[in-house]
Amino acid sequence: MKYDILDSPDFAMLQLVLDAGEVVVAESGAMVAKDSQIQISTSMRGGLLGAAKRKLLGGESLFQNTFTSQSAGQRLFLAAAAEGDLKARQLAAGESFFLQSGAYVAHSGAELVIDTKFGGLKSFFSGVGFFMLRIQGPGTVFYGSYGALHEVDVGPEGYTVDTAHIVAFTEHLDYSVRAFGGFKGLFFSGEGLVCDFSGSGKVWVQTRNAAGLAAFLHPFRAVKSKRS
Amino acid sequence: MQIEIQYNPAHSLATVHLDAGEAIRAEASAMVSMTRGIDVQTNAGHSAGGGILGGLRRAVVGGESFFQNLYTARSNGAHVTLAPRLCGSMVVHELDPGVDLLIQGSSYVAAPESVHIDTKFQGFKAFLSGESLFFLKASGRGPVLMNAFGAVEMRELDGESILDTGHLVAFTAGIEYTIGKASQGWIASYLSGEGLVLRLRGRGKLWIQRRNPSEFGRTVGSMLPAREG
Repeated sequence: MKYDILDSPDFAMLQLVLDAGEVVVAESGAMVAKDSQIQISTSMRGGLLGAAKRKLLGGESLFQNTFTSQSAGQRLFLAAAAEGDLKARQLAAGESFFLQSGAYVAHSGAELVIDTKFGGLKSFFSGVGFFMLRIQGPGTVFYGSYGALHEVDVGPEGYTVDTAHIVAFTEHLDYSVRAFGGFKGLFFSGEGLVCDFSGSGKVWVQTRNAAGLAAFLHPFRAVKSKRS
Repeated sequence: MQIEIQYNPAHSLATVHLDAGEAIRAEASAMVSMTRGIDVQTNAGHSAGGGILGGLRRAVVGGESFFQNLYTARSNGAHVTLAPRLCGSMVVHELDPGVDLLIQGSSYVAAPESVHIDTKFQGFKAFLSGESLFFLKASGRGPVLMNAFGAVEMRELDGESILDTGHLVAFTAGIEYTIGKASQGWIASYLSGEGLVLRLRGRGKLWIQRRNPSEFGRTVGSMLPAREG
């Protein structure tokens, strides 16, 4: 499998070239186009319960599509829902990577594990609508952002990120979520919370967030007429 | 203090680098991330007073808040990153004493305390088009961070220019303005879809945004389900 990320950072698209028998799993709705010798099968990965748990906890879609190439040099094009960037992360066996659930686009590697039920989940529950997936290698995961993907090195002094802007972070970082001052989210949950990171690692931040756009658009909606 | 802007034109992010004791005041919804050695004072309104700010908050296009957070660095090498809600660019104008800057309300993002933000320019509400417009007046010395919806263009004005109010970001105080109709009559103005225009005269700098937030809001908002009052 080879991949390229085209039109980064504003309108990124993932181009994969698959050889015969190679497999990529993608979020439902992520496919843009493909060559004809790639078969699609739709499944609830992890069985019905696993899929339902991911749906409830992780916020990603219940279904995932498995793309299997029937011959060499077949292309598959994938994109995230929002305008923005895409990145790939290669994980060694046993290496973990934390991904905001809506940022997941696709992965390769039969042994890669996507888990919503990990030790740190509870602290993230305080942010309604904000869930992290733990991705465990070996394999490659592709993830997307709304806006640019900004990489930050977290040093010993720590780093604070608005939860709506967190896309991903590396293992061995400690984190805790707290309320942040100011009137941030008058209408939408998940705004007004920040995550404090400490330890040593990297965090990827998206430069826009969907809740912010929704909050901008909210006043432009028509108002329901009241009936007495 | 140094303000670095990345990812222009579409998805800009501003990094405000602060040394010990330096502070930046920013719109509450703008903070993306920050280093840990920063004290945050929330709802730190400007000296103009809370009552006016409360009114401003309601007046701002798109419901953006005008609550301000004050970020003060405890040590050198701190930073705060800031971003607007909509896609587009950010731009910094270095304010000189004596040359004030008039900023369209929702275009203002951040400034240090050496910049005074005044709200004496009252909002202007067009009774026909429903467009509202108000300016913040920035005076003093220091950088003013502004955002645009879409790309931003800076023009040197010497003479006269007519601009749709929804495309205005800011202009320097050497420019006089009047607000008027786009066409001869009010009805023709309304039908033209251009609503209100600004007639700008004089000499100075003018920043224009390539998209109009209200137009975007109305276009998408009309497709969304109705909300509770």
